[in-house]
Amino acid sequence: MVDTLTDIELSIEQLLERPWVCLVWDDPVNLMSYVTYVFIKLFKFSSEKAHDLMMQVHLEGRAVVASGSREEMEHHVQALHEHGLWATLQRDDKI
Amino acid sequence: MSQFARAGETFTLSLSLDEAHILINLTEQLLELLGEGDFQHHYDEDDPFAALMAMQQEIAAPEDPVLRRLLPNAYADPEAADDFRRYTEPAIRKGKQNSLRTIREELLIIVDSEQTSVIKGLDPQLWLKTLNDLRLALSVRLEIQSSSFEIFENMPDEDPQKAIYAVYFWLGWLQENLLELLNSETTDH
Repeated sequence: MVDTLTDIELSIEQLLERPWVCLVWDDPVNLMSYVTYVFIKLFKFSSEKAHDLMMQVHLEGRAVVASGSREEMEHHVQALHEHGLWATLQRDDKI
Repeated sequence: MSQFARAGETFTLSLSLDEAHILINLTEQLLELLGEGDFQHHYDEDDPFAALMAMQQEIAAPEDPVLRRLLPNAYADPEAADDFRRYTEPAIRKGKQNSLRTIREELLIIVDSEQTSVIKGLDPQLWLKTLNDLRLALSVRLEIQSSSFEIFENMPDEDPQKAIYAVYFWLGWLQENLLELLNSETTDH
């Protein structure tokens, strides 16, 4: 029971604190190796996670690469644009 | 044949005079494009007051498709996108312009000296991003799709577009070359 309550508290906390997501969209120009490299550089992902997200962008057309406050996501989008990746932010659909 | 090399944390690029001329030409074209509009007037100098005044102006998405690709909308909602653009686009534009100018100057040394064909001690992150910007710019003009390499390979040599496609794929090869070196271990002195 305690575990369940903790889970609920956590998810409410996430609802309140993580309502925005940063998306990266597929394009036929950015090299797969470059996209992976930028993900590692900007988000400090493991190379495996960066590669998985890059593949998700490539195969599904887009991927959520970060979630958090609007300000944080705007900061990420700006950094991604500086690197030539096509990124947007929006409210998390799941909420 | 152009190629990056790495010794420890020192990166170099060897390239022919012709290749240097091609890259200079591309950086100049993109610099010109990025300087279009009111931005040049307000942001060429590091004047915080001018920057502040310009920030009060309306800034909409650029008309040129190359600029729209390099400076895309951050939000689907146009009003939010313009608002975000007003605060971020001047800095992003300036960063891209500065990187292009740096690369252009490094290339001009090669062209002017006519002796050395190597750029030593280059900033690999700056080159990586800028090669990518140049590829993005060309890709918009060439309307690059995933099938474009096949189209290029089957293109007759007399097609005037073929040389531009060749430059586009060459830049991709160079970028891949640099990425491999960046991802390689640093112990290979």
